[in-house]
Amino acid sequence: MALILRDWPPYRIFWSSATFAFKALFSWLRPAMWLTQLLVLPLFQMAFFVYLSRFVNPGTTGVAFIAVGNALQVASFSSIFAVCNLTSEEKWQGTLTPLIVTPANRFPLFVGRAMFQILNSIATIVVGFFYASVVFGVDMSRTDFVALSVVILVTCLAMTGFGLMLGSVGLYMRTAMIIANIFLFIGLLVCGVNFPVTVLPTWLQPVSYAIPMTYGTMAARAAVEGSSLVLLAPVILQEIAAGAISVFVGYLLFLGFEALARRKGTFEEF
Amino acid sequence: MTRLQTFWGSFRMSLLHFFADPQWIIPNIIAPFVFTIVALILFRDVSGSVALYAVLGGGMMGMWGNTLYGSGFALAFDRWNGTIEYVLGTPSRLVWIIAGRSASNAVLGLANALAIVLVVAIGYGAFFAIADPILFLLALVLTLTSLSALGVVFCSAFLLSRSAQVMTNGLEMPIYVASGSMFPVALLPFWSHPLSFSLGPTWGIDAMRYAADATYVGLGFGYWTDVLVVLASAIVYLTIGFWLFIVVENKVRRDASLTEY
Repeated sequence: MALILRDWPPYRIFWSSATFAFKALFSWLRPAMWLTQLLVLPLFQMAFFVYLSRFVNPGTTGVAFIAVGNALQVASFSSIFAVCNLTSEEKWQGTLTPLIVTPANRFPLFVGRAMFQILNSIATIVVGFFYASVVFGVDMSRTDFVALSVVILVTCLAMTGFGLMLGSVGLYMRTAMIIANIFLFIGLLVCGVNFPVTVLPTWLQPVSYAIPMTYGTMAARAAVEGSSLVLLAPVILQEIAAGAISVFVGYLLFLGFEALARRKGTFEEF
Repeated sequence: MTRLQTFWGSFRMSLLHFFADPQWIIPNIIAPFVFTIVALILFRDVSGSVALYAVLGGGMMGMWGNTLYGSGFALAFDRWNGTIEYVLGTPSRLVWIIAGRSASNAVLGLANALAIVLVVAIGYGAFFAIADPILFLLALVLTLTSLSALGVVFCSAFLLSRSAQVMTNGLEMPIYVASGSMFPVALLPFWSHPLSFSLGPTWGIDAMRYAADATYVGLGFGYWTDVLVVLASAIVYLTIGFWLFIVVENKVRRDASLTEY
């Protein structure tokens, strides 16, 4: 069975792409720098919004809402920003054209590229929840940790799918970094991270529900308050659906933009 | 005169680069813009001068975002484009080239700040009157100078590292928090206060609030003390930045590690 799986081309492409992306990342990023980013980013993003909340409403319970929301959203640095930039980085390194002329299936190729960022997102969220509990005093005594773990895993997978969809656009554009930056932070506004989605104007709420993070923040808060996996199943399924749709649309966009870029000769434009 | 020419040439070139591809303003201002809107939504049920905190804080964050990203990416782009050897190979000192770029980023940062204030004020109706426009302008310019000087200090470290982009992302939020851009520094843990008070922007934003709101009681030292501290911080940052650049420039030349990325 192992032999069959190893010889299966999509698996081989996925695995070699994931390994290569990991090695390429740490060829320029020192592990100490990666670790610093992992520990610093969640702390200061959470601190900013928690202190803002304490300034607005001293003594209220809004801190837990904001700390949990940001603990989850901070993974966007890996799952959206880094993943969305995959195609642009290939352009900058001059490797996009050689990559595109290979007969390898694009799907396992780019999902493999994003593999490390899924693990990175999970690690970031775990650090975020540690800060939520230890630094910002979120009561996690009733937390259903199985449900929370599933929510974290599903959120990271779904948001990486969303990041890949955005990255497809970067194949045709000069750079995906602009989109990456916009969607990195827009989640703070539309995904129920700092306040419920219902506070937003009605016309904006469909955008919120198209992004998997919105379901993730809802489910994570419920898991922290003790909801079981069974109770959370409907929200988690909606998040999986949002992530799957993102991946499917992203793949179609990728193929479309690849054809367009081939026709216009814009692969190396940056 | 040569230094001034270098400074001006770098300033002009940096602006030309920006106008050749102005989309790069988006990464610089998106975080402050979103943070300001989130703050205004959180402040929606609160009366008083909170709009002042949100809008001025957003403006200050816009200036810092631009300065930091400008500094961080100034050398990273040179590395990626293969032009950093030529920049360092010129007879001009690198620090004057960076100073020109930082000044250019500061000017764009001011435009960012104004854009954030205008969009938020018009979009959300978060208008506020400025009690003393002249003192406000003085505090604004000094805060901008202090932020740019801080950018020069960080930029010297970015020259040493291949991870400038990562450091840039990591340094954005700590300054927003430590300077109390949108909330009083007093809310932060006591042990962090020395760090907050060592940052020029902390005093700069306090001075701007004093000038904008006659009833404001901030750090408690008054407008002129704040302004003097901002000025002193800018001088200290520039001194450190110039010294660091000489050290770092010599180091990368000696180690031949400039183009490593």
